[in-house]
Amino acid sequence: MRRVSRMEKLQFLLLDAGPIIKLFSLSIWDSFIKNCDVTVSQIVADQAKYASQEFEDIRIDLEPYKQNVKIIDVDPVTVGSFYDKFNLQYKADIHPGEKETLAFLCSRTENWQLCSADGAVFRALAILGRAQQGISLEELLNKIGLSRRDLEWKYTRKFREKYTHMGQMDSIQDKGFS
Amino acid sequence: MIDYTLKEVSEKSGIGESSISEFENSKREPKFSQLSRLAEVYRKKVEFFLTDKPIIERVMLWRDKPESMKEMKNTQEKFYQLCEQYRDLEILMNEVKVPELPCPDVTDPEKFDYDRAELFAKKVQEKFRLGDIPIASLKQMLEEIYYVKIFYVDFLGSAISTVSQEFGPAILLNTRNKQWRRSYDLAHELFHILTWDVFRAKSEIESEPENKLANAFASRLLMPEESIRDRVKASINDKGQIELDRLDDIAREFDVSLVALIYRIADIYRLKEAEKYAKIAEQYVKTTKPRISHEPSRLPERYCDLAMRALREGKLSLTQFAKYMDISYKKAEEYLTDEEGLTDGETAISIA
Repeated sequence: MRRVSRMEKLQFLLLDAGPIIKLFSLSIWDSFIKNCDVTVSQIVADQAKYASQEFEDIRIDLEPYKQNVKIIDVDPVTVGSFYDKFNLQYKADIHPGEKETLAFLCSRTENWQLCSADGAVFRALAILGRAQQGISLEELLNKIGLSRRDLEWKYTRKFREKYTHMGQMDSIQDKGFS
Repeated sequence: MIDYTLKEVSEKSGIGESSISEFENSKREPKFSQLSRLAEVYRKKVEFFLTDKPIIERVMLWRDKPESMKEMKNTQEKFYQLCEQYRDLEILMNEVKVPELPCPDVTDPEKFDYDRAELFAKKVQEKFRLGDIPIASLKQMLEEIYYVKIFYVDFLGSAISTVSQEFGPAILLNTRNKQWRRSYDLAHELFHILTWDVFRAKSEIESEPENKLANAFASRLLMPEESIRDRVKASINDKGQIELDRLDDIAREFDVSLVALIYRIADIYRLKEAEKYAKIAEQYVKTTKPRISHEPSRLPERYCDLAMRALREGKLSLTQFAKYMDISYKKAEEYLTDEEGLTDGETAISIA
């Protein structure tokens, strides 16, 4: 724990619903937000709250964490212009929450990192030429000293790499944009 | 669009009535999260609210439509949403297919009579290679070979069909109906789809003569004359009669109701007392053990397969997958299995 407290707080971190649910189910959400400045889109926050109702042991409500977790509500025009970049066939059909998150990331100049457990998100990031801004939960937890060995496939570095590679292949072949 | 009141939209979306009113009157722009919630309420994609493209009016033919217009629109939007999702999956997986469905020989609806409906049913039976018991493979052929989108939903009404430029031919059937009723509805709606250009060029609604032609087509398609004659010949007793028990067996075999079979037999053998026999059959059905009616899968197999492949290839997010498959997020997670041990070479077999 001492090692964790000496670490610099991770900034510019966007979280998707999957990792939020996992962090709550691992009961490490409180430790996690002590080590990271977390930003979550409003839709993702709603989505995590809704999805957690399906799990017996966790209830997610980010309202009480408003001091530590920034909730963003993006302008529809920003999301619309982001979405228009993709062509019909290669438009990854991602959830509005992830669209909002990706649109926010692409509209910012800071080096934001997006932690997701979704292949479509990593693939889209790679198509956008922003592969380095995607991070798996496994890598993120390692970074802040909260490593876990028992994470499922979709939270692993290998999972991120697999879908990032798919997006990079699309990008090399000039697929993806309209 | 579904005609919700301001109060209803507010309750369903969780957005205050005053805010919605301000959005409507362009006094304030909604945030993306609010648009997303409104999209859920109206069963639209959120992109629907981000474009100025004109709304395309959709023609949908109903069989036993409900009295409530709201109920009707709600079901139509649900049906449309499913079709749209299906088309999105086809686009994502690069599997958009243009079905080459058989066309009737006539183009003038006035010239479409019962004989032509019968001939057309025979043509369809042959083209689809449906064989002796058409219902055994009809749905499978329509879905897998002719790419007709067939969904099952619990709704007020019996069936809906449409042919859209966006997603092609589609049929909605009612899960609440008995299996044999759904079979009949499927064949009935198939007639509408195949004759869409003939009848819809003149009218967007189904006339009574068209409805009767669709019934004649369905009856002929599901119960081919040769097959029925064979069964009757094998079942007739010394007195030239067939017991209702035996007729019920034949009806089960062809997956039609006993009454529908009796009308078909009456038609083939030119029996004059069809209605009398039908009434006896109705009584018989009430007094005998009900036939087993299997619950259909709500979503087409091809649709589910496309969704699973799209998920695995990172073309569909997990949350969208859950929505498309109408399952919980937790359940959707189970579909993301660890595939890291499989290489491309291990997911294919060599033939040559």
